Amino acid sequence: MVSSRPSVTARPWFPWAAWILAGLLALAVAFVIESRAGGARITAARMTIADTVGYQPPPATVPSNLQASGRTVVMPHAPAPLWAPTAETAPQRIATRVTWFSLQVPPLPDDGRQLYLYVPRWKSDGTLAIYADGQLIHQSHANLQWNGSNEPLLISLPRTEVSHPPRTLDVRLQHVRGIGGAFSSVWIGNYRQLAPRYAIREILQVQLSSFSSFAFLATGVFALFVWLSRRGEPIYLLYFMTSVVVFLRMLHTFVGVHPLVVSDAWFGWITVISPYWMIVVLHLFVTELHGRRQPLLTGVALLNGGFWTIATLPGLLDPTLLSAPVYANLLILGLIVAFNGVRQSIRFRSRDALLLSAWCFVTVLSGVYDLALQQNIVSIESVFISNFTGVGFTVLFWYIMFSRYIEALETATRAKADLARRLTQREAELTASHQRLREIENRELLHQERQRLMQDMHDGLGSTLVTALRAFEGDRAADLDAVALLRGCIDDLKLTIDSMEPVETDLLLLLATLRFRLQPRLEASGLKLTWDAGEVPPLEWLDQRHALHILRILQETFANILKHAEAREVALSVRTEDGHVLVRVRDDGRGFDPALPVTGRGLANQRRRAEAIGGRVIWEPAPAGACLLLMLPVRKTVTKDG
Amino acid sequence: MSIEAASSTPLQVVLVEDDAAFQDAFRTALAAAPDLSIASVAATATEARALLAGRPADVLVVDLGLPDGSGVDVIREAHARWPACAIMVATTFADERHVIASIEAGASGYLLKDSPLPTIAEDIRVLHGGGSPISPRIARQVLMRFRPDERPAQEAETVERSSVPSLSEREKETLQLITRGFSFDEIAELMGVSRNTVLTFVRRIYAKLEVRSKTEAVFEARAHGLL
Repeated sequence: MVSSRPSVTARPWFPWAAWILAGLLALAVAFVIESRAGGARITAARMTIADTVGYQPPPATVPSNLQASGRTVVMPHAPAPLWAPTAETAPQRIATRVTWFSLQVPPLPDDGRQLYLYVPRWKSDGTLAIYADGQLIHQSHANLQWNGSNEPLLISLPRTEVSHPPRTLDVRLQHVRGIGGAFSSVWIGNYRQLAPRYAIREILQVQLSSFSSFAFLATGVFALFVWLSRRGEPIYLLYFMTSVVVFLRMLHTFVGVHPLVVSDAWFGWITVISPYWMIVVLHLFVTELHGRRQPLLTGVALLNGGFWTIATLPGLLDPTLLSAPVYANLLILGLIVAFNGVRQSIRFRSRDALLLSAWCFVTVLSGVYDLALQQNIVSIESVFISNFTGVGFTVLFWYIMFSRYIEALETATRAKADLARRLTQREAELTASHQRLREIENRELLHQERQRLMQDMHDGLGSTLVTALRAFEGDRAADLDAVALLRGCIDDLKLTIDSMEPVETDLLLLLATLRFRLQPRLEASGLKLTWDAGEVPPLEWLDQRHALHILRILQETFANILKHAEAREVALSVRTEDGHVLVRVRDDGRGFDPALPVTGRGLANQRRRAEAIGGRVIWEPAPAGACLLLMLPVRKTVTKDG
Repeated sequence: MSIEAASSTPLQVVLVEDDAAFQDAFRTALAAAPDLSIASVAATATEARALLAGRPADVLVVDLGLPDGSGVDVIREAHARWPACAIMVATTFADERHVIASIEAGASGYLLKDSPLPTIAEDIRVLHGGGSPISPRIARQVLMRFRPDERPAQEAETVERSSVPSLSEREKETLQLITRGFSFDEIAELMGVSRNTVLTFVRRIYAKLEVRSKTEAVFEARAHGLL
């Protein structure tokens, strides 16, 4: 077997083995029951034939002239039917024949127990009447041709106060001349003896195909609903169609004992033509399974099936009578399609298609056997095999749908796992990229911080130290106030460090820190500082860069006052007005002209720093001394410079 | 601002510092002050511990970066052995992390290493007299540490938490004014109290900080199943 699919289950052979085992077990049970059954079998009969036209009701009693005539035959008796009997379709004008079988019943114990007659098969193709001791005890009452002859009969013999086991049995068959008139051997006995025989045949021949046909049709309806919601997958529609066609084909095996709702002609048409439809839908289904269209073969099958479908429409040609040529054509078409299906399935590596095609092949072959049985070539007590292959189709289709269902579930599971895997992968990528971004950001941050500190040192600490270095090198150290210079450097350094601590939007804390740093120098110089810190809202923009600029601006101011102003008092006040924070540093010293070049450089620095943080420095006119105003916005948009 | 050196016997000061330059500066500063005298100098934590076994000093000045250990441990041990001794941490930048760790270990002030020499002597006198310096940043840090816990505590925990000291309104106000840059004198004026009262507030705040850190340590240990 070609199996390209990786295991639907872990042990793919297991379900098959289970099915085969169950089948064998059922057969074994049937054989055991059959072998333990009893009853007397009657195989000898005297056959009398009389040609008639049309159908007549059977007489109430066996005609007396029958006793002497006829010839001895062995039951089952089946005359070879004509392949093309007659073109006449009207029942009242058709050439018919009455065939009588007279049977001698072997002596049976007269214990008053109910006796039964068991008839495995009767192929009247007309009517059936059974007589016991010359009296009519049973007659068929349904259609003439599709009269349920597939179903075995279990007839209870009349039991009255005076009745004894019958001595003679007579069977009257009235049938189309040239076909029918076949009758199996019969069994007589009590219920316990005959019921097992009857039950097994009934199950195998009728119930099994009935049950599987209905079950197949039920799943077919399910598939139809699947197709209705998934139009893009015609395989479900084909499943439904197959189930319908198989149901129609199997109908004749379990109906007909009672009158049909349709005429013999229509029922015959359905029964004879449905195999063509089966071949067509199975071909399409297999095509759908292996996925390679074959328009030519499909066309041929459709044309062939279509031709017979129309040709055998009731009123044109009677399909019952034409069954032989119809079946011969069917055999050829079935073989071609089945063989093609097997070939294509192997080529395109579809196990399901192969199974189905192989089963089509088996069905076609079983059809040959059934045709032989139909034509009385094999013993008419045999069983129609296509009943079982029909059951096989049901099982196969279930299996295919089961596989698809399981496969769909597995695909879904795999898709889910795949999705999870991709998500994990994506997450890892995101984490990695986030990590990279953070590293870049950190580097950038460090870079900016370094730039900021370098700029600051270049302006302050660095240049002061370099100046001092040059002075020492040039022996001009005496000109320097080295202590003040170094203290200035240390103060610079402290403010730099202070600027690196977060102040969390609190300007006053920043100013307090400045005061804390400057206090020792102010005290040492005897300068009195008045501290007037009013309310200030949180400044969201106050980060470390801004903090250092503010510290430096004010540091410069205080340094100037200490150095040049000769002031005695200095007052720092903080106010908030019109969306601005105003920091004023006012001294009572000499004052200065901001335009003078001597002071210009420091002032320019202050102005530059203030602008860099979106603020302004203003030297306000004062009656005495100087007053610096640092204006800072309460809110501002982020500036890029600095 | 100076506290009078009323006592006839000079204050015994012990220095724990490994930097020879600062040792020299320190000696010079105290040599100029007749009311202060250097009892001994230790250059390592081990030497410091040896000193702690001896006679208690009046003031202990500890540098944090000792070659064989942290000055914080020396402070903690000193506080336990010499409860009456005023301990100060010597620092260049008075950065709040180191200072607060020292105060939690039992220090009651800090000494800026770059202070002019007279200032060093004066700071020692002030500290011994009960005045503790406090920078705005340290004040802010202390305020944040004493902020009421926002997460809902369990009942048993609440009972134990009650043993943690909290700041009084006046103490909080003092700290807030410090963070806004006001000096002790200005704060005294703003609050309508004497300068000494403000100093007492600060001393008390430091003491509470120390108690709180000890209690916290117990909590931490319980939380980690160590107690």
